[in-house]
Amino acid sequence: MTTYRVAGKGRVDTGQPVTFTFDGKRFEGCAGDTVASALLANGVHLMGRSFKYHRPRGPVTAGSEEPNALIGTRRGAGQFEPNTRATVQEIWDGLETTSQNKFPNLKFDIGAINDFAYMLFSAGFYYKTFMWPKNFWHKVYEPFIRKAAGLGVSPTEEDPDTYASRNLHCDVLIVGAGPTGLAAARAAAVGGVNVVLIDENVECGGTLLSKPNAEINGMPSWDWLAAELVSLRSLGVKIMTRTTAIGYYHQNMIGMVEKLTDHLSDLPKDTPRERMWHVRAKQVILAQGALEKPLVFHGNDRPGVMLAGSAQTYLNRYGVLVGKRPVIITSHDSAWDAAFDLADAGADVRAIVDTRETVDEELQSQARMRGIGMKLSHTVTATSGRLRVSSIRVNPIDDGKAGDGLIIPCDALLMSGGWTPSLHLFSHTKGSLTWNEDQTTFLPKDTPEDCTIAGASRGLWGIENVLIDGASAGVKVAMALGKESQTRQHKVTHDRIGSGVSQIELPTDKSSGKAKAFVDFQNDVTAKDLRLAVREGMRSIEHVKRYTTNGMATDQGKMSNINGLNIAADALNKPQPQVGLTTFRPPYTPTTFGAFAGYHRGDHFEITRKTQIDSWAQENGAVFEPVGQWRRARYFPKRGEDMDTAVGRECRTTRAHVGIFDASTLGKIEVVGPDAVEFMNRMYTNPWTKLAAGRCRYGLLLGDDGFIRDDGVIGRMSQDCFHVTTTTGGAARVMNMMEDYLQTEWPDLDVWLTSTTENWSTIALNGPKAAKLLAPLVDGVELTEDAFPHMSCAECTVAGMPARLFRVSFTGEIGFEINVPAPMGRKLWETLWQAGQEHGITAYGTETMHVLRAEKGYIIVGQDTDGTVTPYDAGMGWAVAKTKKDFVGMRGLMRPDLVASNRRHLVGLLTEDGTKLEEGAQIVFDPHQAIPMTMVGHVTSSYHSDAMGRPIALALVECGQNRMGETVYIPMPDRTIAAKITSTVFFDPSNSRVKIPSGEML
Amino acid sequence: MTHTIATSPAGLLFGTQGVQISRMPPKARLSLRSRNANLMALSKAIGIPVPTKIGACDTKGGTEILCLGPDEWLVLSDVSDHIAEACEKLYASVPHSLVDISHREVTFNISGPQATELLTLGWPRDPASLRVGEGRRTVFDSATVVLWRDAENAYRMDVWNSFADHLFQFLQHGCRELAAQAY
Repeated sequence: MTTYRVAGKGRVDTGQPVTFTFDGKRFEGCAGDTVASALLANGVHLMGRSFKYHRPRGPVTAGSEEPNALIGTRRGAGQFEPNTRATVQEIWDGLETTSQNKFPNLKFDIGAINDFAYMLFSAGFYYKTFMWPKNFWHKVYEPFIRKAAGLGVSPTEEDPDTYASRNLHCDVLIVGAGPTGLAAARAAAVGGVNVVLIDENVECGGTLLSKPNAEINGMPSWDWLAAELVSLRSLGVKIMTRTTAIGYYHQNMIGMVEKLTDHLSDLPKDTPRERMWHVRAKQVILAQGALEKPLVFHGNDRPGVMLAGSAQTYLNRYGVLVGKRPVIITSHDSAWDAAFDLADAGADVRAIVDTRETVDEELQSQARMRGIGMKLSHTVTATSGRLRVSSIRVNPIDDGKAGDGLIIPCDALLMSGGWTPSLHLFSHTKGSLTWNEDQTTFLPKDTPEDCTIAGASRGLWGIENVLIDGASAGVKVAMALGKESQTRQHKVTHDRIGSGVSQIELPTDKSSGKAKAFVDFQNDVTAKDLRLAVREGMRSIEHVKRYTTNGMATDQGKMSNINGLNIAADALNKPQPQVGLTTFRPPYTPTTFGAFAGYHRGDHFEITRKTQIDSWAQENGAVFEPVGQWRRARYFPKRGEDMDTAVGRECRTTRAHVGIFDASTLGKIEVVGPDAVEFMNRMYTNPWTKLAAGRCRYGLLLGDDGFIRDDGVIGRMSQDCFHVTTTTGGAARVMNMMEDYLQTEWPDLDVWLTSTTENWSTIALNGPKAAKLLAPLVDGVELTEDAFPHMSCAECTVAGMPARLFRVSFTGEIGFEINVPAPMGRKLWETLWQAGQEHGITAYGTETMHVLRAEKGYIIVGQDTDGTVTPYDAGMGWAVAKTKKDFVGMRGLMRPDLVASNRRHLVGLLTEDGTKLEEGAQIVFDPHQAIPMTMVGHVTSSYHSDAMGRPIALALVECGQNRMGETVYIPMPDRTIAAKITSTVFFDPSNSRVKIPSGEML
Repeated sequence: MTHTIATSPAGLLFGTQGVQISRMPPKARLSLRSRNANLMALSKAIGIPVPTKIGACDTKGGTEILCLGPDEWLVLSDVSDHIAEACEKLYASVPHSLVDISHREVTFNISGPQATELLTLGWPRDPASLRVGEGRRTVFDSATVVLWRDAENAYRMDVWNSFADHLFQFLQHGCRELAAQAY
């Protein structure tokens, strides 16, 4: 195979060959090559098929803005990435790469039929075509569009790589390590100012890497670069390469992604593939440079057609000639420079075609000196060659019209339409832009952030100019940080500054209606599409963009936005600023999901909180369920038991003997202070003043709106101290709500809140034998009905541990909740478990807890209430104090719709045929009414009740409390179930079981 | 028995050359809340002037007191019973809340040349803003923690019990990542 590598050129290591595959074929490149440069060195330009028309495509750039050369890269199982830019991916021994969007292969692709049907695929094609007939949408159009919309193949295996994240604080962050960024860093790194300089490329230098001929302060640019990097490091500047600033967020926070291993053939241990940096910089300097603009003409997307500056990069940085017989088409001086570099490296430059009538005489004489033919005032009207350009058609321009064409054979066409400043990150800051008519481009104006934009990204050209600008930006930020700094002298020779003109589509003698002159290469949008969008009524660039999809590909229009705007403005006959500029949004370049997820994947995806008793549950075969951030034991199956059997047994044993339950997750708040009781009166619906120390009360918490927010049993430990419990999921929310009221509404109250949820392990014992089991272990309290009646609390010792003991019941049985210092939880559990063996103890989980409480009609906030249920709706009017002056939600409860007569009430439901209802099932009064039926409520809780020997349910039903005994209907997909409205209390309505029988003694 | 941080004894949990993570022995701790006007009296009872600058920390004898908020302090003490008793006597004239939270948290000691760097993995604040001898209530890997900087590269981190395993796993992963880092 012919090699296009030029001896003595480039920064790659030709002594270190690297082998990789592309579509299964082995290729050799050098250490330091990208996939694109290595393939180009092997004469391969064809690297992919385009998105819509499946046209053959090759790289058009040498950087991260590449729209065409998107490939799949693979390292091993799960380590596959689609849509990687071949111009960025470094090669390593064993790298597997594949082309995309082709079938059966890259050189012969059936989808290319779209290319011949291009008249069908015009702008707005999907909007227009897929409207009718409507019933085609699901079966035909949507599957077609979905299939067509994807580029590349999503990986299906789990990604075995790891990803990381880090926070970084610095004085100055400089984005872009080209001449501007380097000069800025040198000027800013004074007096201990801490500077971070980043670049998305493998090495620093930016444009200097492509311009080895320039001399800075008498040194060849590459020598100057090397010396400068040494100086910067010795000044303490942190230099990060392969690091892309993807987004600029509020208050100088910048997101950066560092690629750590994608270039390595052997992955080092414990090293993440990518790291997301969250950077907070006092000052930011944006030095992202400028991107070269393509020219728009028929066939400008053929492999071998490339930006002139990129060809110069391939030559000088990688030592690769992109063609041996190139032609240049340009409207800017910079392409002349590229032509000279290629000619000097041995290329036979066939012609420089320039659309301008006059070009700098110095450039012309240099071309003549090299024997390069020039065609000024000329245009390109076509390219040919099946999979790579083999000739172009060149026409003279006379008075804006193209004359007769002349064919020039060539193997590459290098184009330049000038340069566009990179304003992406500046635009993220909500920075304003101003239109510059001379340069036909937007330039940065003001930004609300502490951000300075310098160099080519604010429209300056030439190495010397940007070095000076970078240095003054560095001085400026140093001063802003209170440090004196001085600009250093920068004198650059062989610095080609150059200028040019901006072009819309190049003039042509052919039918412009048939021209495939691409503006957005990645989304296959042509100039014709943009003009059609304007003809069809689009006026703003935002509409043109969405109608044509111009600039909406993953490259975010880095190549296409400004050409698109110029063409749309021309079609509208309006100046560009009146047509507008589309907004840039993060990320600057496509970013992996892994980088965003960072450490939060797999086991570490979300915090799983565990109680101190969790380990016992795990060792004893519990099945767990998540409750908020907690994991809780749901049930404890014995061998061969399914959930229903296990729960049935746990319920039965608890009601017959005794059950033990881990209630540690309940939220706990210590409310202390002289105004504690006043605070409780204001927060909760219940009255607290008369609650004696040593007694408990069920408390109900509402929102301002009068709806139930939380509940729990609250013990008055002493006159000025309440032990408040909340629901498991509501703990943090309730604490925040209380603090909010305390700090903003009642700062005069002398009362303070402390979260004690995790200070205690809480174990609930329930069942007829609970007191019998516990009494021998308790010191300080006598567990009789008289000495420690239901709803009592006390400080005592249990099994030798300091404890807060509550006599409460969420089951209707004799019940205790024992709080001991958290680390003692498991020890107490094991002690009780041991002592309980002779009483037939069972451990039970949340499922049994749910069933037992439902049998007693106790609500679960968030299950039987949904944020629209008042205490009265829930049948808990008894918990609302009648004589209090105020409490949170009192006003809300008076709202007309909350006192309306047709509210939904919580009631019990018993099905007539004994089937178990589905939670969430809708309820109707008349099952024979027309569909859609009027729904009057829904089932909130439904279980099989072992105690009742039948299923039971709780439901919210319109006026349910006034409809006791009536039948309602629950329509299900297969049948309609009839159920009778009952009280919510199914079991032991007289509460006889909660009492410790007198005479039961120990 | 299942191994968790909650059941681990005090001592080294994990270490690399760059950073060691250990569990500190339990120490009695109290949450103190009161109004500023009462601080003189409370300082006397506790035996240390109560600091008023958020993040400031004072130590004397076996007692350490950290200002967490405008009306909130964390007291660590070997003589917590005495403090509780002395404060209780003042309660009628000097209203305050003193709640025993000795069993709420696990304390990690994170130290070694890479300790500060390790914290940057999950701590969004600027390490330079936490001076030696100070402490903060802050977030680490999305959990609320109290963090003290005892020396340039030595930190203490208070973590609620149920978050300890999650955060330890994260710290351990981070230690390995730092150990593999090229210098």
